[in-house]
Amino acid sequence: MSDTVQLRIRDDDGQEQSITATRGETLLDAAHRSGVEITATCGMRGRCRSCRCKIIDGTMPPPTVADTVQLGHEEIRERFRLACQTRIVADTVIKPMPPKSESGHQLLGGHVETTSLDLVSGVEKIAITAKAPVSEHHQTSDIEEVFMAIGAPLKSRLVPGNLLQDLPAKLREQKGALTVTLFRGKIVDIEVGDTTGKSYGMAIDIGTTSIVGSLLDLETGEELAAVGMLNPQAPFGADLMSRIAYAQFKPKNLAQLRGKVLSGLNDLVRQAAEKADVSAEHIYKIVIVGNTCMHHILLGIDVSYLGLAPYAPAVRDGQTIAAADLPLKSAPRAHICTLPILAGFVGADALACVLSTRIYDSDTVRGLVDIGTNGEMVLASKGKLIACSAPAGPAFEGAQIRHGMRGAVGAIERVTISDDVACQTIGGDAAVGICGSGLIEACARMSDARVLNRMGSIKSTDDLPEAVAARIRKSDHGQEFVLVWKTQGGKDEDISLTQGDVRQLQLAKAAIFSGVMMLMKAMDVSAEDVDELLLCGGFGNYVDIESAVRIRLLPEMDPEKITYAGNAALMGAQMATLSEAEIERADALVGTIEHVALAARTDFQELFIDGMNFGEPGLQVLSQQDEAIAV
Amino acid sequence: MSEPVLEIPEGWEERAVDGWEWATLWEAVEEGDHGYSHERVQEAIDAGIDPRVILDDGLFPGFNLQGDRFSEQIIFIPEMLITARAMKAGLALIRPLLAANDEKPLGTFVMGTVLGDMHDIGQSIVTIMLENAGFNVINLGTDVHPDKFIETAAEEKADMIGFSALLSTTVYYQKVTIDEFEKAGHRDKVHILIGGAPTTQEWADECGADGWGRDAMEAVKLARRLITEQRGAWA
Repeated sequence: MSDTVQLRIRDDDGQEQSITATRGETLLDAAHRSGVEITATCGMRGRCRSCRCKIIDGTMPPPTVADTVQLGHEEIRERFRLACQTRIVADTVIKPMPPKSESGHQLLGGHVETTSLDLVSGVEKIAITAKAPVSEHHQTSDIEEVFMAIGAPLKSRLVPGNLLQDLPAKLREQKGALTVTLFRGKIVDIEVGDTTGKSYGMAIDIGTTSIVGSLLDLETGEELAAVGMLNPQAPFGADLMSRIAYAQFKPKNLAQLRGKVLSGLNDLVRQAAEKADVSAEHIYKIVIVGNTCMHHILLGIDVSYLGLAPYAPAVRDGQTIAAADLPLKSAPRAHICTLPILAGFVGADALACVLSTRIYDSDTVRGLVDIGTNGEMVLASKGKLIACSAPAGPAFEGAQIRHGMRGAVGAIERVTISDDVACQTIGGDAAVGICGSGLIEACARMSDARVLNRMGSIKSTDDLPEAVAARIRKSDHGQEFVLVWKTQGGKDEDISLTQGDVRQLQLAKAAIFSGVMMLMKAMDVSAEDVDELLLCGGFGNYVDIESAVRIRLLPEMDPEKITYAGNAALMGAQMATLSEAEIERADALVGTIEHVALAARTDFQELFIDGMNFGEPGLQVLSQQDEAIAV
Repeated sequence: MSEPVLEIPEGWEERAVDGWEWATLWEAVEEGDHGYSHERVQEAIDAGIDPRVILDDGLFPGFNLQGDRFSEQIIFIPEMLITARAMKAGLALIRPLLAANDEKPLGTFVMGTVLGDMHDIGQSIVTIMLENAGFNVINLGTDVHPDKFIETAAEEKADMIGFSALLSTTVYYQKVTIDEFEKAGHRDKVHILIGGAPTTQEWADECGADGWGRDAMEAVKLARRLITEQRGAWA
């Protein structure tokens, strides 16, 4: 028996790609090795349905336990399998068929207010008229003539080698009319003619899920283009930890992830330049922020130990790298600047949020929270800053939720319960699933209606309206609550929230809640003392604040004091792009922010367990009632 | 799936003293009232009821009911914890009496979270559940080096070891630690159980563990089953 088999992968257009696979390897490994991307949101652990494939032809592999759990008997009979679990036994034809709800996505931008900024970006363009050398007696050189024309002494006389290669022709083309571009006092470009008005920069936020960027005019601060994309690393795991696990002790996998993000950035820069109708050669400064893992992968730094306590980053200081060294081919004249990192799980994105929200400069207590798979939070009071991270997992992104999906068209985002349940979807389409913000709202309204008790159990109570009570039922997945009946939705089954989904949400929101509570405890303030809590990042801006407080995702404080801050990380990056003073500020701030390691605190467990409860208006929560819960 | 029900121990009336009633204790443990649990167990001891009977007829029914509900996700971690604590409050009074009666623990269990992982809650729940089920548990805490596991297992002549890992980046050390037991020549002397959110039965098979617990209750059931299987003796 031969050790290799033929695997043919059919796409939506019916085109087939044939690859040679090793008998016994998984469909997903074989596909990835050959460059066919099948998204494995859970990191190839058989915990989600994103890598669902249909076996079109060939021997039907027996279903694994994970197949049965994730897909159910019916889909298994219909020849569906999980590509990450199914091992190839013979020649096979497959078609990747991720559930509809696994695709599509919202991206969040934002543009910073520039009036308060000191618009000194570090990029300087000088129009000069240099004379080509004329006398053989008095020896000089083309570049020396350029230096001479600039007049003021430069910080360095070093010139990138490639600029010298065609300097002789450039110098003589328009009688010495040249534009010299300096970045932090060093020559980074020499162009023919006067291009002094064309000075651009980019701010980019690399998130675990998506990458967003904006192209800025460095002289006016104006945003010329906003661009975004899903992080091309996503097929290798949705959350941070599965990304680290993929690259852990496997340099080849790290290189693969790095290649993905670099090619993504290249596309993003090109896209932005096209959209703004400028030449990418005139982009001189790119500030990139992101969590520590994204930062390390971009720089090709080994992330193996980032996933292990004490989760130490390899470097914390901000870095400046020439585009050629990264390499970022689409912006050849640019320098890439990263902002400093605070800790393994409080990255440059958090620092950027601190910059843009200016919470460092406040007489009252102010905080910021980035709600995500890895939640980051910072609390500030009178110049004192403390930060922590809390692993919420991917529930807020709809992952590992029975009918969960990202915030795309057809996702339930608003829920009301009165005589019956009414759901509103993104785009107003027929419902196909529920996104994270919808999940929060559903649980808040179910708590109000007493379909959920304060411990999060789905329970029927006597005084429920008939139509609501009819939605509570037992299923193969335990107790569940039907949000949208099959006849009213856009899916071939009822869309429900299972007891297991509620448990996932409880763990996720407890992480964020207890993180914020811990910072308050460390700062010795209570929720009432907090003057403002800013929600940063993609997810936070779609959350209904009242619902988030209701389910105790956010502290029990006046919802009026909680505000949306947009993509604060991107805005911080924009500030750093436009103003060197902001980079200096970030460098100075990082040394003053105290990092609270939650896991190391003995009192954290209590806060976390208490944070799992939904609470009830007017009722004391568990730990306040019963202090000594620790075991 | 059927709703778990309270399993009333058969013949409990004959084993108790005249007119004795357990129902309030079953409920106290179920609802996590540790004060009442402590009080009622003391009364039972004073009434001269055999400690083994107090444990089996008085404490276990409420505890098992909540354990089954926890497995079915009908209740969640906070409720399971208060029940476990109420059980522990009663057990604390009985344990010395059981020892005096020459009752041995079911076995010695060394528990901890693997190297590189600081997660504590999961393994502390499993610890309290195992203790309640009658195991002698040595809890090594979090971020435990493989050498520490091996050293403790040898000192305590452990029957069983549990490795918790809550990160997809640290499950790797479950395998590493099992390999270290193998290298030290101790693998055949212990049953090794693994658990934690990112783990699966497949991973347990792959890393060479003897069993995997989906949740704390399953881990306890598994431990009770495996303990009956003889392993090699410690020197």
